[in-house]
Amino acid sequence: MSANTPALENKKTMGMGQMKSVILALLLDTFLWTYVSLVLYKIIYEKMILGLRFPDFTWNQPITALVVGGLITLALFFTKFSIGRATQGLYDLDENKSIMKEPFTLLGLFIVFLTFIAGLYVSQISIREFLSQSGLTGARRIFTALFQPNLGILEPALFAAVETIYMAFIATTLALPFAFLLGFFAARNLMNGSRLGLAIYYIVRFFLNLTRSIEPLVWAIIFSVWVGIGPFAGMLALMIHSISSLAKLYSEQIENISNGPIEAITATGAHPVQVIWFGVVPQIVLPYLSFTIYRWDINVRMATVIGLVGGGGIGTMLMQYQGLAKWNEVGLLVIVIASVVWVMDYASSKIREAIK
Amino acid sequence: MLEVRNLQKVYDNGTHALKGVSFDVKQGEFLVVIGLSGSGKSTLLRCINRLHDPTSGAVNFEGEDITKLRGARIRSVRSRIGMIFQHFNLIPRRTVLTNVLSGSLSKTSVLKSILGMWPEEDKIKAKQYIDIVGLTGKENIRADNLSGGQQQRVAIARALMQNPKILLADEPVASLDPATSHSVMQYLKKVNEELGVTVICNLHFLSLVRQYASRVIALKGGELIYEGKPLDIDENWFKTIYGEEAVEVTIN
Repeated sequence: MSANTPALENKKTMGMGQMKSVILALLLDTFLWTYVSLVLYKIIYEKMILGLRFPDFTWNQPITALVVGGLITLALFFTKFSIGRATQGLYDLDENKSIMKEPFTLLGLFIVFLTFIAGLYVSQISIREFLSQSGLTGARRIFTALFQPNLGILEPALFAAVETIYMAFIATTLALPFAFLLGFFAARNLMNGSRLGLAIYYIVRFFLNLTRSIEPLVWAIIFSVWVGIGPFAGMLALMIHSISSLAKLYSEQIENISNGPIEAITATGAHPVQVIWFGVVPQIVLPYLSFTIYRWDINVRMATVIGLVGGGGIGTMLMQYQGLAKWNEVGLLVIVIASVVWVMDYASSKIREAIK
Repeated sequence: MLEVRNLQKVYDNGTHALKGVSFDVKQGEFLVVIGLSGSGKSTLLRCINRLHDPTSGAVNFEGEDITKLRGARIRSVRSRIGMIFQHFNLIPRRTVLTNVLSGSLSKTSVLKSILGMWPEEDKIKAKQYIDIVGLTGKENIRADNLSGGQQQRVAIARALMQNPKILLADEPVASLDPATSHSVMQYLKKVNEELGVTVICNLHFLSLVRQYASRVIALKGGELIYEGKPLDIDENWFKTIYGEEAVEVTIN
């Protein structure tokens, strides 16, 4: 008797699920056909055939395309040209026939091809400009200067590089305690015990994703207005980004630990603090260390980029010389940056290997 | 010394793992629990030392119902019940000695244990248990560098460090090869006979059951369906416990 009940429930949810997949399939098909008709009109007709460089855009066009796409979807939804039905598993496919020969696969390949052609036009790829006379002269001038770096500014360049490394180190260190705490709150296996825990989990996750999706470059611009241009602004930008990235990595590490040692230590009658110290910590401490060192390495590289928008260090120096078109000095800075990045990369991978 | 009365366990996801199991365990027994995977064996052991909380029923250990105890009192009960696991569950990246010493956590203060300041007599005791399970000289090797059988012996030493009245063994040989299985079972027998520790052990292989058990209980679908001497399990009982299709596999 007990075996019957789940089967009945299954059938019910199947009906609901089927409905959902048909709707999803329809939406996906409509989107794809709208996309195809819009791209065909804008890129192939207007740009390639009429040769317009900057064609007009009005909202009528996508709306018309949506109608056209909807009509094509209705016409072709029950043929084998429906990608939506294919992705939702609504076809009864012949298993002996290769999926590459199905009409919807060919349609999918056509859409990828269309996107490639459109991409070429949108990126304004031009071999002519790449090989033009004036362009090549300019390139030659920059490269000659870059390969004759001005060693006179080696000293300030090295100081600026040291500033960058220290800035990245402080950003990582200050991010560490915040990330450590948030990591526990963002670990699903620790938080799903209660409704409150789960709510905290979702809120923390949301803010981590939000801060992480804003580039450090943008944070640096915000903070350079807030605290003024300089290493402090860059450090704050790196710190914010490091907190969210590290907290995410830490929480994933906590989610992956094995329950066994925790069970075993609990079974000895140990205190909860001892259970965490002997059951959880030995499993996370090395991955944590490894992530943190890797983060420092990333931060050194990012600190250079952040310097370009006024985050201090060698990046700011690079921006200044580039603005003055002093290419010999820029050449030296590029060499210094490349060596620092290379050394950091090498050291961090060696350290991470050693502590595994 | 241990009485299990009408024990029920329903998990949060609705699985009814134990449906009213009752049995007694006497001092010095080697009780083996058999049954298919999912029959509730592991749940049963975990309800005895409260790694899982039973839904209803009673577990009387040394005259005290332990199913409702909390905090320090349940920790004190756990410290008198040792446990070993199928996957050994040693602390990774720590030495054999630290792993064995972790068996004495319940009587070491939190601060001292975190700082690694173990009492001298505990260290001596730990070394003795390491000798008993035949791992002399391996005190300072990382536990995860040992072979499976050796890791299980470290786990036994850790359990002995608790000076337990009962040793729970949850499929202790299920991830070991036949030869190592016997060696680990021999150590359990030694613990049972020479140190007088009562053993409750989940096992899969009937050949091992016949060789080591002093008494057997069988679970099927969360219910106790057999209780008796290991040699009394005949063909019919075997088919009842393991299903009509089952064929006995022997391990030598």
